Amino acid sequence: MNLFVKFMASPAGRITRIVASIVLVALGLLVMHGIGGTIVAIIGLVPLLAGLFDFCVFAPLFGAPMSGPKIRAGK
Amino acid sequence: MTDKIFFERLRSNPRPVVVDFWAPWCGPCQVIAPAVEKLSAEFAGRVDLWKVNADQQPELLRSLHIYGIPTLIAFHNGREVGRHTGAASALALSTLFKSALTGEKPERTGPELTDRFLRLGAGLALVSLAIIGGLSGTGLLVAGLGAVIMFMGIYDRCPVYRVVSERLKNLLRRAPTG
Repeated sequence: MNLFVKFMASPAGRITRIVASIVLVALGLLVMHGIGGTIVAIIGLVPLLAGLFDFCVFAPLFGAPMSGPKIRAGK
Repeated sequence: MTDKIFFERLRSNPRPVVVDFWAPWCGPCQVIAPAVEKLSAEFAGRVDLWKVNADQQPELLRSLHIYGIPTLIAFHNGREVGRHTGAASALALSTLFKSALTGEKPERTGPELTDRFLRLGAGLALVSLAIIGGLSGTGLLVAGLGAVIMFMGIYDRCPVYRVVSERLKNLLRRAPTG
């Protein structure tokens, strides 16, 4: 299985996604303004939800399942 | 049925028992009823399911310290090994039946403690960011989502899922076919 997908599904990868997306939301809400800020904040919410609820949006692109537990089990 | 008779029957029952305390007016009881019946059929001959109308047995509820329904209690050799109060997932209910069968405490089926803390932390971060950024437009959306995520960290269920899913189902039912 792809190393990138494996890392993203690991606990370290999940925390990385959550922290990165909170940074993106902060950037969108506090630093950028207008439509650009809104887009960045909303895009930031996607990896946040994926990290919190243990799924990987891009995993199917690498031929892996979306579910985090399935990726970790190597299915 | 008095408490005494209930516990005597429980002890003399040849199989483990799951007791479902329910009431006709209780919405969540109706929600879990099909899953409970399905599990009862699946465990037939190994675990018995007793259904007790909570309205008719207030004394029994008091002696078992039941303060809300639906409550399902798993008994093994007349001894309580696990219980669940409120609407439960099929997995949680199945764990309760297995627990009655083996006599071991049910395994935790909810999210890990780390997941709960992650949800609470992330939800709190979103709400804080939204408040700092001013609660308007996207800020409100982010604050709402943060609140929902925090709620899910505590209760492990989405507070808006049922409302949204019911409406979606109704919409799909109304949609013309063909």
